[in-house]
Amino acid sequence: MVPSDLNEIDAEIRLMKRSAEALSLLGKDFPAINRNVARILASIKMLEINISDLIELDSES
Amino acid sequence: MSEQKYWNPVLETLPQEKLRQLQLKKFQKIFKWAYDHSKFHRRLYNQAGIKPEDIISFADIARVPTVEKSMMRDIQRKDPFPYGDALCVPLEEVTVFRQTSGTTGQPVYQPDTWQDWEWWMECWSYILWAQGYRPRDRVFIPFGYNIFVAFWAGHYAAEKIGCEVIPGGVLDTKARILKIQELKATAMMGTPTYILGMAETARMKMNIDPSELTINKITCAGECGASIPSTKKRLEEAWGAKVFDHAGATEIGAWSFECQDQPGGMHVNEAFFLVEIADVETGEIIAEPGRRGKMIITALDRQAQPCVRFDSKDVIEWSAEACSCGRTSRLIKGGVVGRADDITKVKGVLLAPSAIEEVVRNIDGLGDEYEVIVERIDDADRIKLRVEVLPEAQDQCRLIEGELADQLRLKTNLRYDLEICGCETLPRYEVKAKRFKDLRHKPKED
Repeated sequence: MVPSDLNEIDAEIRLMKRSAEALSLLGKDFPAINRNVARILASIKMLEINISDLIELDSES
Repeated sequence: MSEQKYWNPVLETLPQEKLRQLQLKKFQKIFKWAYDHSKFHRRLYNQAGIKPEDIISFADIARVPTVEKSMMRDIQRKDPFPYGDALCVPLEEVTVFRQTSGTTGQPVYQPDTWQDWEWWMECWSYILWAQGYRPRDRVFIPFGYNIFVAFWAGHYAAEKIGCEVIPGGVLDTKARILKIQELKATAMMGTPTYILGMAETARMKMNIDPSELTINKITCAGECGASIPSTKKRLEEAWGAKVFDHAGATEIGAWSFECQDQPGGMHVNEAFFLVEIADVETGEIIAEPGRRGKMIITALDRQAQPCVRFDSKDVIEWSAEACSCGRTSRLIKGGVVGRADDITKVKGVLLAPSAIEEVVRNIDGLGDEYEVIVERIDDADRIKLRVEVLPEAQDQCRLIEGELADQLRLKTNLRYDLEICGCETLPRYEVKAKRFKDLRHKPKED
């Protein structure tokens, strides 16, 4: 199965990233939040490498 | 519902042209990242007169200076301690330390951020999925869990995939074999040398036939052995398992892998790495299949200490064939066939140690171990090859020696001084073996 709508997946990835970044700001002085969010953001980066980088390339061409 | 064949069904089946566009764009990004954040890279590129905006095409990439391991050693004498000025992130963002094994000299330190470490695991997830690892697997990892990257990322990638992972850490070889037996492990990772050594220990010291254990697949790394047909055959017969090769390096990442179709070569993970092959003499980039050269590689997403056009000295060639598995990434034929450092002229003939291994392990009656010593005696090169004869073949020493000499002459065009040794007389290695010793340039002792 190849995901039929990569744009939709990319939109969800962006949404997750925005939420994680907002959470990181809210938990700036809260290690249990900001260190866990740092890991979440690293995982989100893998989603970007797997999907969003390609979408970005398509949108430019 | 049928099981998904690819870890990433989009990137792994992307048409080559699109893959190349993605590589170019990602190279531009990582080059700019290194230029903007690493004093070392900025110096290097300024000296060559290349700036990020100059990278428009692959021809521009070919003009970017390469980085050698010796340069990394020099950098690490500078601040910040202990990594030096190729470091692209504040020290407090480094979460993982590893170092190279020091096979070719002073070890190089490798910093990674957590994001880099996630990236390592992601690279390994592509490898393991392509080799058939699935959540139902119970993976045993007989590795020392130390400062070397070795199978650390393999461990975490197997967990990420959903496998059950058994860390074989400080156990000795016998205890590891017993643990595999006790827990009915289905998969394993190790260097070809160690995996062969485990089989020998099981058979000769424990009276256990490893092929009757439950291991059905083995991922090898650290040496070229699993791509050498005779070594792969020995490994597969010993364990009754499929054996897959994979190549990676501390400074680079896990860049290639054999898939389940085993097309006689390894896929380059081209969405994550840009691999170029350069002529060893001229440095010219080799685009066509069938010509060997040394690998120049870029890790397209690694950030703390970027790997941009790293001269790995691995000798490879492109395959002309596409793989039947459907992955569109290019194959390197026969895996990594050696290192430019190891391929040396003996008696005026180019000799790759892997060619000797292919011959030795293709002869029935010989053990897995061997040792090659090249010396200069009276201004002439001499190659001594020491091999072990298995106990059951002791009465065929003459025949074996004759076959060995013939095959070596045929495959390497060289003559050898052969020494047939008894079983278990040659050194055994736990991780990377050092079977090739070139003593010609060693200073003579008084």
